[in-house]
Amino acid sequence: MSVAPVVSMFVAAFILLNAIVGVVTYITLLERKFAARMQSRIGPYYVGWPHGWLQPIADAIKLMIKEDVVPTPADRVVYNLAPLVFLVPCMLIFATIPFAPGLGLADLNIGVLFFLAVSALEIVGLFMGGWGSNNKYALLSAMRAVNQIISYDLPFIFAALVPVLLTGSMQMSAIVNAQQGGAGWFVLYPVIGQLAFLAYLIAALAAENRVPFDILEAESELVAGFRVEYSGMKFALIQLGEYAHMLGTSFLGALLFLGGWLGPGPAWLGPIWFLVKAVFVFLVLTWVRWSFVRIRVDQILAISWKLLLPATVVLLLVTGFVVAAGGGRGL
Amino acid sequence: MASNGTAATGFWGELWQLTRAVSRAMGVTFRNLFRRPVTVMYPDTSRPYPDRFRGVLALVYEKDTGQEACIGCRLCEYICPPQVIKVEMLKAEKRNFAKTFTLELYACEFCELCVQVCPTDAIIMLKTFDLATSDRREMLLDKDRLHWLGCAFPPSWATGNKLRDMQAPPKAARAESKEGKA
Amino acid sequence: MDSEARKVVEIGYGGNERLIMNMGPQHPSAHGVFRALLVLEGETVVGVDTVIGYLHRCHEKLGETLTYVQYPSIASKTDYVAAMTSELAYVSAVEKVGKFEVPRRAQHLRVLVAELQRIASHCLWLGTWCLDMGGALGGGATVFLYCMRERETILDLFESLTGARLLYGFHQIGGTRYDLPAGWVDKARRTVDVVEQRLGEYEAMLEDNAFFLVRTQGVGVVSRELAEDVGISGPLIRGSGVEYDVRRAEPYSSYGEFDFKVPVETAGDCYARYRVRMQEFRESIKIVRQVLDGLPEGPISSRPGVKSVGQVRVPKGEGYARVEGARGEVGCYVISDGGPRPYRMKWRGASFSNLAILPHIIPGHKVADVVAIMGSVDPVFGEVDR
Repeated sequence: MSVAPVVSMFVAAFILLNAIVGVVTYITLLERKFAARMQSRIGPYYVGWPHGWLQPIADAIKLMIKEDVVPTPADRVVYNLAPLVFLVPCMLIFATIPFAPGLGLADLNIGVLFFLAVSALEIVGLFMGGWGSNNKYALLSAMRAVNQIISYDLPFIFAALVPVLLTGSMQMSAIVNAQQGGAGWFVLYPVIGQLAFLAYLIAALAAENRVPFDILEAESELVAGFRVEYSGMKFALIQLGEYAHMLGTSFLGALLFLGGWLGPGPAWLGPIWFLVKAVFVFLVLTWVRWSFVRIRVDQILAISWKLLLPATVVLLLVTGFVVAAGGGRGL
Repeated sequence: MASNGTAATGFWGELWQLTRAVSRAMGVTFRNLFRRPVTVMYPDTSRPYPDRFRGVLALVYEKDTGQEACIGCRLCEYICPPQVIKVEMLKAEKRNFAKTFTLELYACEFCELCVQVCPTDAIIMLKTFDLATSDRREMLLDKDRLHWLGCAFPPSWATGNKLRDMQAPPKAARAESKEGKA
Repeated sequence: MDSEARKVVEIGYGGNERLIMNMGPQHPSAHGVFRALLVLEGETVVGVDTVIGYLHRCHEKLGETLTYVQYPSIASKTDYVAAMTSELAYVSAVEKVGKFEVPRRAQHLRVLVAELQRIASHCLWLGTWCLDMGGALGGGATVFLYCMRERETILDLFESLTGARLLYGFHQIGGTRYDLPAGWVDKARRTVDVVEQRLGEYEAMLEDNAFFLVRTQGVGVVSRELAEDVGISGPLIRGSGVEYDVRRAEPYSSYGEFDFKVPVETAGDCYARYRVRMQEFRESIKIVRQVLDGLPEGPISSRPGVKSVGQVRVPKGEGYARVEGARGEVGCYVISDGGPRPYRMKWRGASFSNLAILPHIIPGHKVADVVAIMGSVDPVFGEVDR
C-alpha cells in the first residue's frame, strides 16, 4: 500500500526534528567540555560518569519540571508566545539542508534564500520576549538585539552569497556538487574563498549573539538579557532555539564552504563527514567565544556598518567579476 | 575604528595588528587545551592539607593519664571574638574539669585564638572541614561531640604551647620552662 | 561637582526619553553589594546615584568591644580580598599609639605577606574585571579562571603559613603570630616564578587585543585635577599621573629598605589603570624576591604570645596609621584610654573614598562602560561599608 506523501513527509520531519534536538543537546555538552579544557578545568563529569554523558538529559529534565513563573505585569500573550516564535524559525532552517545527496527534507531550489530569510525571523521572537517581560533589562537587551542582528544579517547574507555566485544556483545540493574534486571546497578557492569564509564566521558570531558580539545577553551587565524573566520549559525552548540556530549556521557554513558531505570513503559516510565539518565550524566559533571579551554595542555596529558590510559588498562584486570572467563552477 | 596600544599605520597596518592580536589570544586558549586541568576531584580524592590547616575544632585527652585535658579555665571563652564558646567549670580535688563545653561552630570564625590561649593544649584544630549538615543543631558542638571529633580526625600541627612559643621572643627563661613542660 | 548628576536624579523620571535602571545590589558585576541607580537616555548614562551600606557589619563598634588581641583577626574582614593589608593598618595604628617595637624579622615578614597579598588581590581584580567585560560565558571567564588558578597557588602559600586561605589573623600587636615553616621560602620562590611567567600569558591575551582596547581606552577618564580633588588613592590616582604611594610617601614596616618602582600612567582611563596594576604585579614580585633573599633571623614578636584576652594595654593617646592596600590608602585611627580596648576606632576604607569618583566619570558613557569603569575602580564592599 502506498503511503500518502503527506504522511511520509510528516514522518520524515518528525525524525529530523528529533535528531536535531538530540544533536543540539549533546552539542551543548561538547561546548562545555571544550570550554572547560581551555580553562584548565574538567567540565561536566559526575552526571553520567565519566565525562558527563547524561548531563544534557539531566538539564532537560530539570528544566521541564520547574515551576512556570509568569511575572505579574508581563504581557501574557506576548510573553508566552515569544519562545515559540523564537524556536520555530530556528528549527525550520534544518528542513532545507540536505545531509546527503537525496537525503534532505526539502531540497528547495531556493534553499539558501529560504535558510537566510527564515533564520532572520528569530529576531521577532527575541523582541517579543524582551518586550513581553516588562523588565527594563530585557527591553534594553531586546533593543540592542534588534540593532545588532539586523546590522549583521546583511554581511551574513552577502558572505553566504559568494558560494551561490560561484555555483550559479541557490540549491544546496547543487552547491555541494560544485565543490567536488580535489581542491574543490570553496574555502580553498583562491582569496575570495578564504575571505568569504572569514566574513561568514564573523557575521555568524554576531548574528547568533556569541562573544565578542554578545551584548545582547551580556551576563555581567544585563543578566541574561531578554531571557531574564524566563524559567523552566520556556527557557529550555529559548536555549534550544539558540543552539539550534548556531548548529544550523554551522551546518550551512560547512555546506557552503567546506564541501558538505564530500569526503573520502564510501557514499554512506557522507552525512558523517557533514556532521564532522559542522561540528568543526561550531568548535571554531566556540574557540573564539572563549578567548575574547565583548565589545560595546556602538562598536559592534561600527564594525558592521563601517567594515564588514562594505567589505562583503566589495567581495561580492569581485566574485561577480570572477564568475563573469569564467571562473565559476556553475552547472 | 579599533585603536591599539601602539600606533598602527592605516587600514592594512591596523588589520595586521588585529590579526596578530586575535591569533595570540586564541593561541593562549588553544595551548591551555592541552594542559592538565587543575581540578581536584574532591570527594574522590582530597587535597593534601598543610600542617597548620585550621579546620574544625576539637577537644583532646591528655596523653599520659587519658583524662580530659580541659581544665575549664574559660580562657578560650573570653578570647573568642564572636563569643561562640561557653564553658562551665567543675571543681575537683587535684585538678578542675569542664562541666559543660559548648562551641557554636556555625558562628565560629576559625581564627585559632582559642587554640593559642589554651594553657593545657586541650582545644585544637583538625585537618578537616567536612562538617556539612542539613540541620544546624548538629553544628552546636557539645563536649562529647568535641571529644569524638578529636579522636576521629587527624589534628593540625598547632597547639596552644606551640603557637605561643612560635610567637613569643626566645628568652633563656622561656627555653627553660619549655623544657620543663615537655 | 556632581551636583548636576544629583539634580538629574532628583527630578525623577525626567521625561519620556529617560529610564531609571537599577543596577541593584544583586548583580553579577556589582563587585559585592552595590546599588547604582542609572538614569539612562537610550544607552547613555546621564546620571548615577549610588547606594551603599548593604554590607555594614559595625566594624567600628566591634573595634570598641573587642580587645587589641582579638581585633586583628576581625580586621582582615574589612578588605577581605586583601586581608593582610587590612590587618596591617589596624596593628600599625595601635603600635603607633602604644609605641610598641616591632622586630626586624616581623617587619620583613609583614612586607612579604603584604606584597604576596597584593599579587593575589590583583589576580582577583584582573579576573573579575575581564569576567564583567567578557561575560560569565565568554572570554572573560577564561581569563578569570586563569587568574584564579594563579591566585590559588598564592593562597596555598598562605595556607601553609597560617592555616587559612582568605582571612588570616596573621598580624598581632608587636609583630606577627606565625613564623615561616620549613621549605616555605623555596615554595614561595617557585610560586612567584610561575606567576610571573603566566602574567606574560595574560598580557598576550589582552594587550594588543583590539576588543579589549576599544573597551578600555578612553573610558572612564579621570583627569589629574579631578583625581587630586576627590581624594582617591591607589592605582586609581596613579593612573592619572599623580605619583602617590603610601609606601613611598610615609614608609612603614621596612619598605624603605627595598628597591621598587611606583608605576604611574598619565592617560587616566581604564587602560592606564590596567597598566598600573600589571606593572604593580611585577614590582610586587620584585619586592617578594628581595625579601626572601634577605630575611633576617630573630623573633617575630616583641610581645609575649597571646595568652589572655586583655594582654595588651595601650597607654592613653591616639594615632593614625595608613598602609598601601591593593586598592588604595587604607587607614586606621585609634583612640586609646589606657585599657585593653580602644575607646574609638575608625577605618579609612580605600574603596569608600574611591567610589566617590563614580558620579564624576560615569555620566556620558554607555551602560556597557559602567561595568568596565566599576571594574577598574575595583571596590571591595567590606571596606566601603565596614
